[in-house]
Amino acid sequence: MDTDLHIRKFQKELAAGTVALVLLSVLGRSDRPLYGYEIAKQLERDGETPVAGKQSALYPVLRNLHSAGLLDSHVEPSVTGPPRRYYQATTLGRAVLADWQQAWHSTRDFVDDTLAG
Amino acid sequence: MNAPIPQTIAQYLQQVRVALAGADRAVVQDALYDAEEHLRAELAANPGVSEADMLRRIATTYGSPEEVADIYRDTEVTVSRALRSPLPTPRSTAAGRFFGVAADPRTYGALFYMLLALATGMFFFTWSVTGVALSVGLSILIIGVPFVVLFISTIRVLSLVEGRIVEALLGVRMPRRPAYVQRGVPLLTRISHMFSDPRTWSTLLYFVLMLPLGVLYFSLAVTGLSLSLGLIFAPVASIFVDGMNSGVFLDGERVVPAGVAMPFALAVGIAVLFLTLHLARAVGQLHGRIAHHLLVKSAAGGIDPQPAPTPEPAPIPAT
Repeated sequence: MDTDLHIRKFQKELAAGTVALVLLSVLGRSDRPLYGYEIAKQLERDGETPVAGKQSALYPVLRNLHSAGLLDSHVEPSVTGPPRRYYQATTLGRAVLADWQQAWHSTRDFVDDTLAG
Repeated sequence: MNAPIPQTIAQYLQQVRVALAGADRAVVQDALYDAEEHLRAELAANPGVSEADMLRRIATTYGSPEEVADIYRDTEVTVSRALRSPLPTPRSTAAGRFFGVAADPRTYGALFYMLLALATGMFFFTWSVTGVALSVGLSILIIGVPFVVLFISTIRVLSLVEGRIVEALLGVRMPRRPAYVQRGVPLLTRISHMFSDPRTWSTLLYFVLMLPLGVLYFSLAVTGLSLSLGLIFAPVASIFVDGMNSGVFLDGERVVPAGVAMPFALAVGIAVLFLTLHLARAVGQLHGRIAHHLLVKSAAGGIDPQPAPTPEPAPIPAT
């Protein structure tokens, strides 16, 4: 039985909401602004980023969080390539993170309970 | 996965561009910018690793060019659906369609853009004309060349600024990142690219056009608004200011009394107001198309590294 396609589709759907939560929590915890590559490396486990699938999916989400006012961003020139865009959680972002954490915990508990039967 | 495994960052970006063919040009520009930032950082973080090896590994972390293209295509659909204010449901009746324009958020963005266009148009026009004139004038001197390069760079930055204004007010998707410039090539090549890039010249054309367009938009908006509001409030003024002694006068004789003229003025005023709103929405759509056409580089255009001549099939490390 080939379940590969279904696994990938499910992972994509799961990622839709969780990536934003994970990114916000990384930036909420950090005491300095981070740029996309740094965040991707922090999330990497054994060469993979389980939550997002591919790391390229992180960048559009960062941009959305920024346009929603949850992140601040500024550009700094870098010697290695194009100017880097640094992100930092705003006060609103930190407040939202607390709410999202709560929502995540209740969802997780509910799903776990249901799976346990 | 028919494309050869990219050997250089430029080839990788080219493959992303090819895979995104047909997508919104602004999405392509953002995707290339993000990818380049990530790949350059990865390369800098692993100094011992060759570009080709790094790119082979990147396929499993950042994603292959095809996967990156899919991700940006998907995200764009989701995001634009989530961010765009819902369009009002189209009304079925003719009256509903005529008055429904007032409930459409795009109308007010466009109206504001029309008013703003006079100021931005004057600025862009002055900047461009001054820059071109000084560039030509100074070209006989040694400082002419750096001046021209500096001026053209400001044009590219201003293009991004105008793009942000157009996207915010007119709702047309514009680039959020500067145009991708090829790195790792000599400075002179990059500068000459700036001049051979048709977008530089179309942006200049757009900026020069912005003065007449801005004057036109501003006049239309101000005329429409002041005429309609004047007519709408004429009855109020007539009642409270001169006690219905107004009306339509011809040679000092009142030919139409206020009681007859004022309801008529009110009706015409409301009609003109809604016609102005319709006009604003139409101008907004038209101008959005002009801006997108002249300010955003075509996905396939520009001077880009040619897709690599198919290299030896490189062994793919098992992952």
